[in-house]
Amino acid sequence: MTFDPMWLFYILVFPGVLFCFVGGTLLNGLDRKIYAKMQKRIGPPIAQPFYDFMKLMGKETIIPYEANRTVYMAAPVVGFIALVTTMLFLPIFGFHAFGGVNADMIVIIYLLTIPAVSLIVGGAASGSPYAGVGLSREMVAVISYELPLVIVLLAVGRKAGGDGVTFSLKAIADYQAANGALISHWSMIPAALAMLLVVPCEVGSHPFDVAEAETEICEGPLVEYSGAPLGVFKLNYYVKQLVCSALFSALFLGGKGTGMVALDAVIFYLECFVVTFFSTTLIRAITARLKVEQVFKFFWTVVAGLALVSLVLAWYGL
Amino acid sequence: MNFNEIVVHFPALATMVLFLGAFLVTIFGGKNRGVRVFLAMLAATCSFVMVLCVAKYVIIDGNMITYWLGNWSPVKDYAIGIGLEVDALNAFFALLVTVTTYLSGWYSIKYMSRDEGGDYYYTLYLMLSGSVLGLVLTGDIFNMFVMIEIMTFACVALTAFRNWSKGSLEAAFKYLVLGSLGSTCTLSGIALLYAQAHTLNMAQLSAFLSGTLNQPNVVLALALLLTGFGVKSYCVPFHFVAADAYQAAPASVSMLFSGMVNKAGVYGLIRVCYIIFQSMGLSTVQTLLVAIGTVSMFVGVTMALSQHDFKRLLAFHSISQIGYVITAVGLGTALGVAGGLYHAMNHTLFKGLLFLCAGAVYYATGTTNLDKMGGLSKKMPQTCLIFLIAAFSISGLPPFNGFVSKWTIYQAVYEKAVSGGIGYLFVAIVALITSVLTLASFIKVTQSVFFGHSRESFRDVKEVPGSMLVPMWILAILCVVTGVWHEQVTAKLLTPATNAVMNVTRYVDEMMGVGYAAKYMGANEVVYSSEMVTAGGIWNPWTWLMLFGIILVAFVLVSAMGKSGRGKVIDAAKSDDKHQVFFGGEVADASAVVGSDLFWGFRKNFSGYFKVLGGIHSGVVNDYAMWAVCTLAVIIVYLNVVL
Amino acid sequence: MMIENYVCAIILLALGMYMLMVKKNLIQVVCGLGLLDYGVNLFIVSIGYNEGATAPLYIASELEYLGQEGAVYFVDPVPQALTLTSIVIGACVTAMALSIVIRIGQNYGTLDADKIRRLRG
Repeated sequence: MTFDPMWLFYILVFPGVLFCFVGGTLLNGLDRKIYAKMQKRIGPPIAQPFYDFMKLMGKETIIPYEANRTVYMAAPVVGFIALVTTMLFLPIFGFHAFGGVNADMIVIIYLLTIPAVSLIVGGAASGSPYAGVGLSREMVAVISYELPLVIVLLAVGRKAGGDGVTFSLKAIADYQAANGALISHWSMIPAALAMLLVVPCEVGSHPFDVAEAETEICEGPLVEYSGAPLGVFKLNYYVKQLVCSALFSALFLGGKGTGMVALDAVIFYLECFVVTFFSTTLIRAITARLKVEQVFKFFWTVVAGLALVSLVLAWYGL
Repeated sequence: MNFNEIVVHFPALATMVLFLGAFLVTIFGGKNRGVRVFLAMLAATCSFVMVLCVAKYVIIDGNMITYWLGNWSPVKDYAIGIGLEVDALNAFFALLVTVTTYLSGWYSIKYMSRDEGGDYYYTLYLMLSGSVLGLVLTGDIFNMFVMIEIMTFACVALTAFRNWSKGSLEAAFKYLVLGSLGSTCTLSGIALLYAQAHTLNMAQLSAFLSGTLNQPNVVLALALLLTGFGVKSYCVPFHFVAADAYQAAPASVSMLFSGMVNKAGVYGLIRVCYIIFQSMGLSTVQTLLVAIGTVSMFVGVTMALSQHDFKRLLAFHSISQIGYVITAVGLGTALGVAGGLYHAMNHTLFKGLLFLCAGAVYYATGTTNLDKMGGLSKKMPQTCLIFLIAAFSISGLPPFNGFVSKWTIYQAVYEKAVSGGIGYLFVAIVALITSVLTLASFIKVTQSVFFGHSRESFRDVKEVPGSMLVPMWILAILCVVTGVWHEQVTAKLLTPATNAVMNVTRYVDEMMGVGYAAKYMGANEVVYSSEMVTAGGIWNPWTWLMLFGIILVAFVLVSAMGKSGRGKVIDAAKSDDKHQVFFGGEVADASAVVGSDLFWGFRKNFSGYFKVLGGIHSGVVNDYAMWAVCTLAVIIVYLNVVL
Repeated sequence: MMIENYVCAIILLALGMYMLMVKKNLIQVVCGLGLLDYGVNLFIVSIGYNEGATAPLYIASELEYLGQEGAVYFVDPVPQALTLTSIVIGACVTAMALSIVIRIGQNYGTLDADKIRRLRG
């Protein structure tokens, strides 16, 4: 593959670093604002996540006595980059930043695991026992949502594969362009619901925020983090919200698009916002935190069951 | 004499030089450590170089080697002598065997230097390597049995090598009992085949056996051979002894076990099912292998989650990864075989590396108990980095090699579901979940060995010496290389091997003379499709790495620009004591979260399951024998009913 | 042909497996391994037997005579070679197993399989 100067634009501006940064912080700001409105509070300004990030970047970074310095500093960066690359591989209606020939759904699942792993390894490298508790919970959360996520993807792959099966994101985007968004097919609705529940667990918001659980274990893996690394980890949360919503949009809310990439991008971002609203904001406002074993049970029974319904329906051609 | 004339002798010589080395070490290496190390490594090097030549000749150039020992070539279409036949599949496995042997040999120079009886160690080490190499290179099924027996003896003796350590003797005894049971099955199967065909040559057997799978004798032989090689590949439910043996043996030997001994079992399964009986076109045999593989995958990984010992945990992961291989091979599709072989190779690399890491930790600290370790990453930074590479490889994170092979296997399984039925979807789901659970249990190891609170007793721990680190680095680099250049690996290495598996006729003709297959197999000839049908998967590690690199550079630039005076970094370990308070939690808290208890959120929901599994792994040799015999009975009954 | 041989071999195999599964004394387990070997050996050597045949040793003139008759007059030598190999291997198994059992007896102070299970779970 030869290098194309346009790629730098893709990587650094859209849908790469800048889009992830601005889009992610904005999404989080909107989320917090609406969340506050639901609780009859005024809430922070929409740019608050951005302020938080900038403030943290300016703070002192203290590397704890027990920490492994290299891993401690590298973990947040690796997580961030993995998230941005995931975003680059996702189709935006008909638009594929790199021609859609680089990664499929399975790669996306595993790329989405890397931020979680970087959080876990970073927490472990900080050497704190609270981080130990937090990272074990984060890992259980990953195990929890991975099963329904896998089943959802298999169902989508079957549906979009026509007579066969496919893992290709391009094939899924093309199928939706030809046959309408997957969510408009009734057999995919349980899978979409399952995916809506996977998103909050993946980003770690209420009621599935067992890993951070500020009130119990002081943000779990992040307990020792401060300054710039903490800022990057916070940024990872924002970007993860965007990427997970974007994955949902790419899988279920695709379509022909308008043909203009800029307009498509705006529509896509609005879709991400809607997904965030339903999956994160709404659920966060009306629930309280579950215990870690409850999270696990919920995902492996209810959510996996929903996804399985879709898989079976799709398998028999419905 | 040119290269092509010499290279045909190499399969036999590569095996013999190892056995010769074993005898020489016994004779001359008793007194002087330098002499025995020199002899052993000389033999291993010779063998390594010869196998490399064979691999080039067979895999890259596309030739096949047939070699009749003593020049006893077939008379009137009847193979009397012992023949060696090397096609791309043999060469592929031989490559795995010698790479493992060679690196393990370099590693054990330092690692075993504190043990008594080094001459016995090197003798057994060379016997084990030679027997496995002979097993994968031979074309004679009884020769294969003899090699299995030598392998079993060497394994048993090496398991009991540190006979002062906990449980090594009982592990050796259980291994011997189960191994003999497996060998008995294999030998009975071979005898039954001989009674039918009056030949022991595998090529002639496969010609004779084509189209005979409706005969009860042949079905019984298939069941016996499946069980026999199943025992050697340690799939569930023959896996009990593997966990014990891997734990009790020295780490360099555990690497041999997981790197080549269970690969020998996998090789046997492939050879028996695909070539000799040509049974992999039947969906019933596919179902059997896939079922065994799927159960192995899940049981192995869940057992690993509840282990307290580093090497025992790795042992259960071996079982789980072999489950992947058997599942993929059992699909009967070309992509499945390619994925299975790829995973077998990757398993050799990363699991060998993990065992070497466990050995390094043991060498430095004197323990492999996960609950007694912690904070080693600052003392052993290189080992920690290597371990992370291996752990990410086995957990299948991109861009390491474990990801590529698992990804191939997922595609093969998913694609198979289209023709094979919805049950394969369940297999795909289990395979994907197993991968996550693997990640979980390696997070546990990472946290409890290398990170977390450092122990007072490990204050003087030092990094292991260079002669141990070099083999580890080589394996680590191979893990990355085979992950990133996966298209080249597939094209150069796996496609020839897969084609060899899928082409029975060529195997028969090469050994017995052109036209033999057409003459004796005729209409019964089984033709497997060697076309690799994918499920539309795409993975281009180079683009990903490029993106990663560009973003990293951008990130570094931005952070360098933003650094002007603000946000300075304070390293608490290097500055004064006032920053030590920023360590959350006291020592007493740290002891409450031991590594083996990390995932109670998961284990609580499965407590019933874990209780049952714990009961099954009772440690009583009779129970293990019972499982093996019952499985044998089940396989015999199943195959007799369905075939 | 030689049905009693095969029945015997299967009985030996079954008894061997039974001992492996049921007998708790390690020495008896080793005996079970021996029985397995004998069963297989008997089985293999029976395979090569032909009714009324002699040992597979002959001189050239005998071979001509046999050729004229067109009948098989000696047993198949290959299974005998296999059996010989198998017997040697069996002896090795027994020796090795017993030597390990001795060390287990010294270390554990018992030969009861139910008590020798430090590695489990």
